[in-house]
Amino acid sequence: MIRFCLERFAQLVMVIFFVSTLTFLLLRAAPGDPAYLLLAAHDVPPSEEALVALREELGLTENVWKQYGQWITDAFTGQWGTSYVSKKPVAEELAGRIPATFELAAAGLIVMVMVTFALGISTSIYSKGWLNRIGKIMALFGSSIPSFWLGFLLIYFFSVRYGWLPSMGRGTLQHLVLPAVTLGLGLGTVYARVLRTSMLGILNQQFVTAAKARGFSGRRILVFQVFKHALLPIVTMLGTSFAFMLCGSIIVESIFSWPGLGRYIVEAIHMRDYPVIQGYVILTSFLFVFVHFAVDVIYALFDPRLRVR
Amino acid sequence: MKKNTHREFTVVLWAVIAGFLLLTGCTGESEEGSAHTAADKKAVLAFPWSPASLDPHGSDSWEMMRSGTAETLVKLNEELTPVPWLAKEWKQENENTWIFQLEEGVTFHNGNAMDAASVKKSLLRSLKQGQTAKDLLQIESIEVLSENELKIVTAKPNAALIAHLADPSTIIADVASLEGEAGYPAFTGAFQIKQFTRDESLVAERYKDYWGTPALLSEITIKFIPEGTTRLMALQSGDVDAATDIPIDNIAVLEKDERFRVLTAPSLRTHMMLFNLNSPLVNNQNLRKAIDLSIPRAEIVDSIMAGYGTEAGGPFPEVLPFGKVEKKNQAESVGKWMEEEGWQLNADGIWEKQGRLFEVTMLTFPQRPELTVMAEIIQNELLEKGIKAEIRQVENIDEALANDEWDLSMYSMLTAHTGDPQYFLNIFYQSDSASNVSHYASSSLDRLIDQLNQTVDSAKRNQLALQIQEVINTDLPQSFIVYPETVFAARKAVKGFTPHPIEYYYIHSQIDVNE
Repeated sequence: MIRFCLERFAQLVMVIFFVSTLTFLLLRAAPGDPAYLLLAAHDVPPSEEALVALREELGLTENVWKQYGQWITDAFTGQWGTSYVSKKPVAEELAGRIPATFELAAAGLIVMVMVTFALGISTSIYSKGWLNRIGKIMALFGSSIPSFWLGFLLIYFFSVRYGWLPSMGRGTLQHLVLPAVTLGLGLGTVYARVLRTSMLGILNQQFVTAAKARGFSGRRILVFQVFKHALLPIVTMLGTSFAFMLCGSIIVESIFSWPGLGRYIVEAIHMRDYPVIQGYVILTSFLFVFVHFAVDVIYALFDPRLRVR
Repeated sequence: MKKNTHREFTVVLWAVIAGFLLLTGCTGESEEGSAHTAADKKAVLAFPWSPASLDPHGSDSWEMMRSGTAETLVKLNEELTPVPWLAKEWKQENENTWIFQLEEGVTFHNGNAMDAASVKKSLLRSLKQGQTAKDLLQIESIEVLSENELKIVTAKPNAALIAHLADPSTIIADVASLEGEAGYPAFTGAFQIKQFTRDESLVAERYKDYWGTPALLSEITIKFIPEGTTRLMALQSGDVDAATDIPIDNIAVLEKDERFRVLTAPSLRTHMMLFNLNSPLVNNQNLRKAIDLSIPRAEIVDSIMAGYGTEAGGPFPEVLPFGKVEKKNQAESVGKWMEEEGWQLNADGIWEKQGRLFEVTMLTFPQRPELTVMAEIIQNELLEKGIKAEIRQVENIDEALANDEWDLSMYSMLTAHTGDPQYFLNIFYQSDSASNVSHYASSSLDRLIDQLNQTVDSAKRNQLALQIQEVINTDLPQSFIVYPETVFAARKAVKGFTPHPIEYYYIHSQIDVNE
């Protein structure tokens, strides 16, 4: 286990190094002058003096390699620079947005898990009835409906038409419902099909027949044998989806004015706020590696064979 | 496996999900919307952009003005003429020296008195923090003459000083409140900042010691909703009482709904088409005229702008006293100008000269989607007139303009954001300016702009600005297409949320909510 953790840590360092280097180079190669974008934010043309002064202030006139050296040092010491736009430390700005994104990601995951389990289990048990057909249609819609369309549809029905839920913003539990459903529903219906297929395959396995022969109750076989085995492929998918959600769902956060990482990074990219973009990339690399590490651990908990290996 | 066990398990699972959804959907009452008791009236407004910080002298100065919490020495009225605000009167001693009398009895939101010394500190900070204030004001020194009297000396004659003192970069703040982390900035407006959460909301409450007419509302909440459709739906659902910058496509929906009023204000923006005068094709004035004649302005106003705009005849919108440029009778045909330059229509109906087709590259950018649709309409019209235009969408228009690989480009600018033409003309047209994106150089125009910079009398300034626009319209470095209007909507119960060409004056002390 210690070796496993050390390997993962080494991977983390490598990932952060390569990703931050690549981000730095791509950002410098991409078009866009942060100084111009800041000064012309209100579509009033800036003067040359203003541009020169701001470029100087932001350190954009320095040699690129010097900037890169500074950046790599900063990346590993946790000093991720200061935002060009807000003039506040990037680490502080990102940390301020993690709770909102985590809240939405967790709620999205709950919706996704609930839909996956409810639809997956019920359609595997009633594998030939109307419920299965509904599950199939839902999966088709879930995988093909774009989240921005689903989001607006939900706002229209639940906020504008019936006034049951707030249309945007963060605050109460009610604010969380529509964004979480938008985030989790589509993937949940797709994963439900995976779970169903997986469960149907296991229901025909010999160890299930053996368990029945030994006189175990149907519920016990379903929960402790079939479901547990069928869960393995789903855990990886859920983990990957959760990692994506933790990085901030750009579309859902924009539609619902959710003040998380996704919305923040869109604005940072728009304004070419290099320190923020670079800090975000390090944070998300870390989150990705961490979540995959957690998935591996959970995998081992579910599957004793992996622990033996 | 028993069938009823399966059913039991499925039912329990679905019941848990339904319970969860009911719990989240039905807990508590929403705190959104407006409370409307007589003594404690509140309003919730939706604006597109959130300030990144509350610093009034940085890139967020406009957002601070928009919040109704901050004020400047001078204000622009609805005719866009400078009128007293924190400065009650001013006089010019000589061409570089101005004396300002400040309002008495004004206090900042932290209770400190606003006097000449604090105004001086505030102005010096705005000059130090950013180049914009420096460019606009061109101040050499500020001197406190008495408790409420201030002398400002400019480095060179700056006839637009008074109008430029209405720019948000010159917001008057108690400088002490801007330093350190504690508390919110102290301004002088009818509302004071109560709570700010970036990208979420800014809550401003009535400032009880306000020097002017006290605010009718006890509290205003501004929600920052960048997505236009979400802003519209927030209004329709009752989450907000008013919303600005309603997408034109959605206006019809609100007009049909009797709960809302759709309000429009002429903006100070001009949508235009730039010509690259370094391009061998369009550096010819007659060819530019041919292209200009092909722009279907009336159709653009009717279709793309849905009537929420007016045809443009110059860089400055008609709402400005110097924006009423006389439009020339454009009876000439495209063919006349093309033939005069030796071009002939070929068998395909495209203009050709010495084997070279008249093909131009037109840039557009995604940040203003209406410009791309305009570009497509213009492209069709040009093709009908025998000119081929290839549209190239670029992510960053200003960077693309800096390279010379373009002939025409869609563009949009606020041309007189302080109600004065001087800043824009200097930045956009002076031959040596870096922001002269059309590479247009005219020594006679430079001289006229210099003359404008030195002229104080407003009637003479307006006349000069008109004269300058005549030169621009003759030389045609740009084709001006349309002056768009700002559209916003409010519940009918909201009073006083009225249109103003200056977008940062929407919130004021006389906004009210009467159910």
